[in-house]
Amino acid sequence: MRVASLVALLTATVALAGCAGAQPPLPGGETAVQPPRPVGVQDPAVIPSASAGPPASCDPRASFQPAASLPAPGRMPSGSAMDRIVQRGRLIVGVDQNNYLFGFRDPLTGELTGFEISLARTIASALFGDDRHIQFRTLSAADRIKAIQDGTVDIVVRAMTMTCDRWNEVAFSTEYLSAGQRILVRADSRVDGLDDLAGRKVCAAVASTSIRNVANANPPVVPVAAVNALDCLVLLQQNQVDAVSTDDSILAGFAAQDPNTKVVGPRFSEEPYGIAMRKDAIDLVRFVNGVLARMRADGTWAALYRRWLADALGATASPPVARYRD
Amino acid sequence: MTAVSERTAPSRVAVRRRVEQRLRGTPGRLAAALVGLLCLGIATGIAGLVGVRQRADLIDQVASRSGRLSVAAQNLYRSLSDADATAASAFLSNGLEPVALRQRYESDIAAATAALALVSTGAGSAPAITAAATRITGQLPIYTGLVETARVYNRQGLPLGPAYLREASGVMRERLLPAAEELYRAASTEVDRARSGAGSFPWLAFLLGLMTLAGLGVAQVYLTRRTNRVLNLGLVLATGSALVALAWLGISAVSVAGRLEASRAQGSAQVDVLTHARIAALQARADESLTLVARGGGAAFEAHYVEATERLAGKDGRGGLLAEATARASDDVTERAATAAAEQTRAWLAAHKTVRDLDNGGQYNEAVAAAVGTGPETTASIVNELDTILANAITHNGERFAQETRRADRALAGIDIGIVVLTVLLAIGTVYGIQRRMAEYR
Repeated sequence: MRVASLVALLTATVALAGCAGAQPPLPGGETAVQPPRPVGVQDPAVIPSASAGPPASCDPRASFQPAASLPAPGRMPSGSAMDRIVQRGRLIVGVDQNNYLFGFRDPLTGELTGFEISLARTIASALFGDDRHIQFRTLSAADRIKAIQDGTVDIVVRAMTMTCDRWNEVAFSTEYLSAGQRILVRADSRVDGLDDLAGRKVCAAVASTSIRNVANANPPVVPVAAVNALDCLVLLQQNQVDAVSTDDSILAGFAAQDPNTKVVGPRFSEEPYGIAMRKDAIDLVRFVNGVLARMRADGTWAALYRRWLADALGATASPPVARYRD
Repeated sequence: MTAVSERTAPSRVAVRRRVEQRLRGTPGRLAAALVGLLCLGIATGIAGLVGVRQRADLIDQVASRSGRLSVAAQNLYRSLSDADATAASAFLSNGLEPVALRQRYESDIAAATAALALVSTGAGSAPAITAAATRITGQLPIYTGLVETARVYNRQGLPLGPAYLREASGVMRERLLPAAEELYRAASTEVDRARSGAGSFPWLAFLLGLMTLAGLGVAQVYLTRRTNRVLNLGLVLATGSALVALAWLGISAVSVAGRLEASRAQGSAQVDVLTHARIAALQARADESLTLVARGGGAAFEAHYVEATERLAGKDGRGGLLAEATARASDDVTERAATAAAEQTRAWLAAHKTVRDLDNGGQYNEAVAAAVGTGPETTASIVNELDTILANAITHNGERFAQETRRADRALAGIDIGIVVLTVLLAIGTVYGIQRRMAEYR
């Protein structure tokens, strides 16, 4: 009895001492979790007002008819844009180095590689007979048109959507890939389109057409803008957004980087990709269209698609049909 | 009620009358003077002693506690900046990061956590320090986690690697470095506060001492008039002791203040400018690497680089923090170091232009080689050289700080014992001198 009460007393004393000796809580009481954020994320996004005026109406996919046959490599018609390139000794191509599967650097070799890089090399081969006479210049999306207009590059192969507005500034080849805006979600998600995401966070690149489409969704979602579309994948991996939305070609690259994500839902925009060239180099446009036509016909296009994109975008691919305006 | 007041009132009056009678007579006045002078003298001694102890403690605080805290805060700030710069540089080397850079990153993180532990145990003092240390402790694991994620993705060759590195760098720049800067500022403020406390003049002891001297003077004049004897040996001894104590207090206070000011001007103020220069250089280096890591999307990082190098050395490489360090240099070593650092910065600006031109011209691999290669003309070598120059200059000025603080401490050596001895002498002299005269009246 006595021992028991002594033990009880001791226990109580120790408990009291423990209470008295406890550390005071941290300033501000419970410490809130502060998750990391990619630099420059806007949550919710500030949506830029739509561009002034209605878009010019035309068929953005229609390009110029190629000649019946391509000139032999190294023997370009004299005075043509192709001849000037061959005389110079190299084709200068504006590309991306940050778009997985399209134009990116293999970190082990440091070399540029991807679907668009292979496409550019095929064009260099048609000009020179081999693909070594080529120089890549990495361009940001905003620099593409300027680089063509001032002659810094001969052609731009960089996920460039053919639009009527852009046709006023540059000339495009025929369509080399049909892309469209879709969404990327976690692999275990049941979401199957923007409709299922009402009130949830959807991320897209800042000031892009993608973020505008997201902001106009009905029922409304919460748009989140990141500086790079890839930052959206980081946010998705960190459970800070519920979906990423941009061109499915780019999403394919994301899904290839993280197999725990998937591209879902229907396309809700049309993004035909074309190779951009100077507006006055119609002979070069016709030549490139000739190369593209040959690639469609002889299976080169399908081989490139299988190598880079089939895993992520599905093996359905037949090349986009060439459309001409003349 | 009335009975009590009738009884006490006359007794109070009687006491007062008796005291007045006593004071009116010479022996009474002498006794009062003795008590008064003893009180003043002992009060001076105690005030002097307490003041000296307080100042010694504050100097100790400048030298050891706050000093160490501020050095730790500076180390934390620097190692975090260096980790940011090193992580980015390591990323540029195609897939497999160089072992040396990885080790440097790891030792940066180790140094940062060690400094953080030291700062946290020494906290409790300033709430600003605790708050900043808490923020850093919370975000540092997040930062290192992001760097490791980036590293794994980079090894697989996926663009996600650089994306995670950019996010990590964002955590570093937007959360960790501002907190580290705040912590560094708060620690420096603590040093400054301790220093101005230690360097303040001991007015209380000094005033009491002056009053004691005046009292002794009046007592001697009074005695000379009463007894016609010019010198009272005891009071002369007491006056001498008071004078010596007063002079000692004054001189030591001025000397301590001078040493502490030297420790600031020649030590910590220089360390402060040089530290900020070093951190600006490291941030610019991180920006240079991140511009390349961003692979065409690095315009924002390049803008930061321009900003950081302008802070470091002005627009033309002849201004900024390095020019300030040169202008404020208090010795040849520091001035030479600041000049050499400015020269390195100009070389860096030129080499950086080469890197940018190569990258903008589409020669990415060549640009990377010019940025992280090992040759003497690569920006990596130039930045390393710059960092070494600044690090040595900081160490040099840190030593001067410690040296002057030690001298300040030495200026107080023995003064506590001295004041006790002098107060005892003052008391003995006063008692002896006045007692003798009082005895003559009995």
